[in-house]
Amino acid sequence: MPANSYDAIVIGAGHNGLCLAAYLQRAGLSTAVFERRHEEGGGINTEEPLLPGYRFNLHAQYMEFFDIMPMITDFGLEDLGLRTVMPEAQAGIAFADGRPPIVLHRPDLIDRSHASIARYSKRDADMYVELKQRAAMLEPVLASGLYSIPSVSEPGTQELMLETVFGDLGITGNFALKSPTNVIDELFESPEMRALLYRTTVEWGYPIDEAGTGAVFLSFIFWTLANWKLCLGGTHTLAKAMTQACYREGVDLIENTAVESVVVEDGRAVGVEVRGGRTVRAERLVASNADLRQTLLDLVGRDHLSPQWVRRAENYRYGPSHVLGTPMFCLHDPPAYTSARWDPEIDRCFYTMVGFDGPEDTLRYIRDAFMGRLPAPAAGTWVNSLWDRAQAPAGRHAATGWYFFPPASALSAQEWEEVRATYNDRFLANWAAAAPNMTADNVIAHRLYTPDQMERKNLMREGDFSNGEFALDQLGANRPFPEASNYRTEVEGLYLCGPSSFPGGGAHAACGYNAFKAVAEDLALPSPTVPERGY
Amino acid sequence: MRKEYDAIIIGAGHNGLTLGAYLARSGLDVVVLERRHEEGGGLCTEELTREGFLHNVHANYHTFVDLAPPVADLDVRGHGVEYVRPEVQMASIYDDGTALLIYDDLDRTCESMSRFSAEDAETFRRLYTEAHGFVDLLLGTLMYRPPMSVKELTRALATFGVEDKTEFLSVKLRRESINEFLDQHFTDPRIKAHLAFHGAICGYTNDVSGLAIGYPLLVGKIDNWHLCVGGSHRLAHALWRDLAQHGGTMISDAEVSRIVVDDGRAVGVRLSSGEELTARKLVASTVDVEQTLLEFVEPSEIPAELHSKVSNEIQHKDWTLFSVHLAMAEAPQYEAAAFEPDVDRAWVVNLGYGSLDDLNDDWRTVRGGGLPVPRPNAAVNSLYDPTDAPEGCYTGLLRQFAPFSLAGSGPGGWEGIGRHYGERCIEAWRRFAPNMNDDAIIDWVPFTPLEISQKMKNMVRGDWMMGEITLDNMLDERPLRELGQYRTPIEGLYLAGSTQHPHGFITFGPAYNALQEIAADLDIDPWWQNI
Amino acid sequence: MADVYTPDWYAAVRTAINDAVSDLADLPDGDWMVKVEIVGDGTSPYVAEGDERHFLIRIDEGRCDWYREVDGDEEGVRLNYRFRGSASTFDGIADSLVDPIDAALSGEIKVKGDMRLLMRHARHVAVLLEAYAQGVDTTWPEGRPPYEGGD
Repeated sequence: MPANSYDAIVIGAGHNGLCLAAYLQRAGLSTAVFERRHEEGGGINTEEPLLPGYRFNLHAQYMEFFDIMPMITDFGLEDLGLRTVMPEAQAGIAFADGRPPIVLHRPDLIDRSHASIARYSKRDADMYVELKQRAAMLEPVLASGLYSIPSVSEPGTQELMLETVFGDLGITGNFALKSPTNVIDELFESPEMRALLYRTTVEWGYPIDEAGTGAVFLSFIFWTLANWKLCLGGTHTLAKAMTQACYREGVDLIENTAVESVVVEDGRAVGVEVRGGRTVRAERLVASNADLRQTLLDLVGRDHLSPQWVRRAENYRYGPSHVLGTPMFCLHDPPAYTSARWDPEIDRCFYTMVGFDGPEDTLRYIRDAFMGRLPAPAAGTWVNSLWDRAQAPAGRHAATGWYFFPPASALSAQEWEEVRATYNDRFLANWAAAAPNMTADNVIAHRLYTPDQMERKNLMREGDFSNGEFALDQLGANRPFPEASNYRTEVEGLYLCGPSSFPGGGAHAACGYNAFKAVAEDLALPSPTVPERGY
Repeated sequence: MRKEYDAIIIGAGHNGLTLGAYLARSGLDVVVLERRHEEGGGLCTEELTREGFLHNVHANYHTFVDLAPPVADLDVRGHGVEYVRPEVQMASIYDDGTALLIYDDLDRTCESMSRFSAEDAETFRRLYTEAHGFVDLLLGTLMYRPPMSVKELTRALATFGVEDKTEFLSVKLRRESINEFLDQHFTDPRIKAHLAFHGAICGYTNDVSGLAIGYPLLVGKIDNWHLCVGGSHRLAHALWRDLAQHGGTMISDAEVSRIVVDDGRAVGVRLSSGEELTARKLVASTVDVEQTLLEFVEPSEIPAELHSKVSNEIQHKDWTLFSVHLAMAEAPQYEAAAFEPDVDRAWVVNLGYGSLDDLNDDWRTVRGGGLPVPRPNAAVNSLYDPTDAPEGCYTGLLRQFAPFSLAGSGPGGWEGIGRHYGERCIEAWRRFAPNMNDDAIIDWVPFTPLEISQKMKNMVRGDWMMGEITLDNMLDERPLRELGQYRTPIEGLYLAGSTQHPHGFITFGPAYNALQEIAADLDIDPWWQNI
Repeated sequence: MADVYTPDWYAAVRTAINDAVSDLADLPDGDWMVKVEIVGDGTSPYVAEGDERHFLIRIDEGRCDWYREVDGDEEGVRLNYRFRGSASTFDGIADSLVDPIDAALSGEIKVKGDMRLLMRHARHVAVLLEAYAQGVDTTWPEGRPPYEGGD
């Protein structure tokens, strides 16, 4: 039973909410987190919904921020159960005609990545290595950017960065104005490498055709690409470790208790009403890990907002750029790709792209999904049991993947039902084209988790993994909209800490960390910034 | 992960977490290691069908709420657990269209029984009242204390002259089955069937000789069935939280492969990942005794005779449960509501066992590896916990007594027939609740006995009790006399799981009792004995 | 002869217990701190309705060490057993009208503590109870059970 009053109330035990709560409690504020579901973690979830022992990450998959995430060190999450491996072979693309794959390795094995790309183009291989190394140099800047309240940068900053860091590669300031597609086409010549890069770019939700995101591609995407860790046991281990940190601090974490509304008195958030009609007071603040529209329109309510904020919330966009479906396959054997005769590493890749035989395929696929059409089946796939035996029964394998799909509302309930019934089989046919053992016989059971289900399960609107489109007007200091970009709202004492805020979706906990910075400033709490860390 | 702790506990089921929390509260540096990705063991709630439908995959009934000391000692409610004690606890619906109800109120229960037999209702009232008088004593003596032997117990009861005072504590119950007890005391076959059914779903099979001794306790808490709001897994979170708040750590995905023994003493564990953890004071295992003593330790580290007994003599339940988990748009509307309207509000419903013979026949079938004609029991938690399903919907659970190993095809035979047998269970339900048709059932999945053992490795052969309940597998003989006091031949290695007295179910007993022994050995101040 | 619940009476009970156990072999080890809580029920004249009288008894190696009336739970005293019940039940026991085992079985007296130890030393416990119920020549200045209007 929750108490009647806390200093701080956090709505939603997604990983950002957990992060904020842990810092708040440590700063001396009695803190409660109300979670609608029976399980904490939001999109950081791993389930066993098919057969016993087969684990599937339904949302977040690879982890790229663990080296820089403040909460991991500040709360000792590695002592609380967070364990990872970093697979050697990180990202690969396999082709149906059996021509050589491309396999990108982790940064310390970049020679292998170079050799793999060089089968198709020495120039592309050189370019890849150069871009990766320079993007890696940007890590301190990017990390401190991620874990800070965003500000509007001076005009020309991106151009200057590009010219300074990448200028000698022929990358000029105007690359900042290009779309990722344009940048990839300009820098890489082989169709195979283009097919791979288009896909890895959209993994992040960046619309590849949107002009003006070229600098993001060259810095952020290239920094994170093939820099991925696997959470042993499933990504939910991260949520577990964060939950345990909250328990340790004394956070009151209350599951199965939906917040019905934020109580606003005299323009100030003073509590929440939870399931059953009970009001719980918040003496200092309320923070919402829920998405923007839910927070402002459903929980706060229009009566407490200015017409402009109502308009902003109403016009905040979800999808189409990061709407995903997650297939789950229980397998006898992991896929054995025809192209492995060129490079056996393709069979051990952490993440493997299947069904994209050339750049046109990838582009058509992405554009179909973004335009509300169901793409021809293709996917990025993970066979986590290759790297973590805990994720499937002995001798068996568990595979998952990401399909890009139209937003939940683009299809009717009936149509989604149809997709769930047929789409995996259609994808399997394509998978078998590249990996002949991926026949029905090899599949013990499978299921598809679709955007409409995601919306119901996690309230991720439209099945948008990022909780809001990654578009220039909704990114950086514009996320979710300029007036709300510092995690504060026009309702005094109400903060945003979810992925509708900067930097968006992803397992970085930056929304929660930055929201704490904003709270700390307002309430004169000690800043969490560690000087050596720089943020 | 840190590599050194005072206490390492294997298995984060409710016993592992409970023991961990007590020890953490006692100032020990505790880690609880869990093989699965979720803590809780049988306290497992998953969205098996559709999003928002919370299915209790194992433990669904909490019958020791407020009887088990840890509920208060570890402030389970303070950690967010909400229990509901349904007003209509249980029902039996019979083929003749009648229905018998157990309420949370003795008078109403007796009233329901008297529609079948006024005499039986009075007998039940007498037995219930008697049992209620000494249920605390019984719990204190038998459940929440390390066990004494049946012999010791008998001698004490004789000294106190108890046998003459209540037939419930009579020594002769040691020689009787629940069937025999019921035949002696009750007349109506349907009432007997219900009472026997209630025993069976608590693990006390009605035709097993000697189990009549367990019947007083069963009657005493027949209406203490509680539902954990938001799914049984919330209790796991509460226990974990208590552990962590007191400085303990739970690590999931940490599969133990070895208990490290040095000079006859357990000094740590090795994980299947290769990591090795040191235990300064103790290692306690809450998983099955086979894993603990056959897989985790070298054969040379325990006496050969014990090794052989653990290999050959551990008794597992000779029946298990086949489940169907349902996502439903409607609650069942039973035809028997014409006889007794409250049946539609019953939490758990026995569908069709109308006599002891009905049950006995099915035990025979099941023990022979056959599939009985389904007479499932149906639980609809949403009737009392609307949070376990999306608004206006219901989460349902059918449970059917079934064999682990099928005649002819063995346990593997379940792989092919789960769906089919599930359909038959639903059909059986529909005979009593015609509205349970395709419109009402949004989705469903079977969960077979084989899957129990695959998901919960410690539920060997689908044994959700982690050891049969029989007279010679009770008290200090559970799971073997040599292991009956929570200690093992390896110094510093304790057994604290449901393999031990009292047994499986959410009793907290094994952990609580092992705690007493550990406290005695380590000189821990028993602060929890707040008498 | 001693008036019930007076210091003389406690002393008599103590003597009775110690006389009774003196013949017993196999006395329990260690000491037991036992509390008896007698709750006024409006029937017994010895404890007013709503009042309680608490007695603390120390059993050392099976013998009653001391026996005294206390005011609630005492700081620093760790109990091994607590017996709680209505005054008319306890009065009845002291007057051999109520069987203490019956009272425990029916729940009229609630027993807390390590039951296993009580069972293990059943013989000893039985002797203690008998001494309490029959070993003292009790006088009842305010009236003697069974009381009018009692249960």
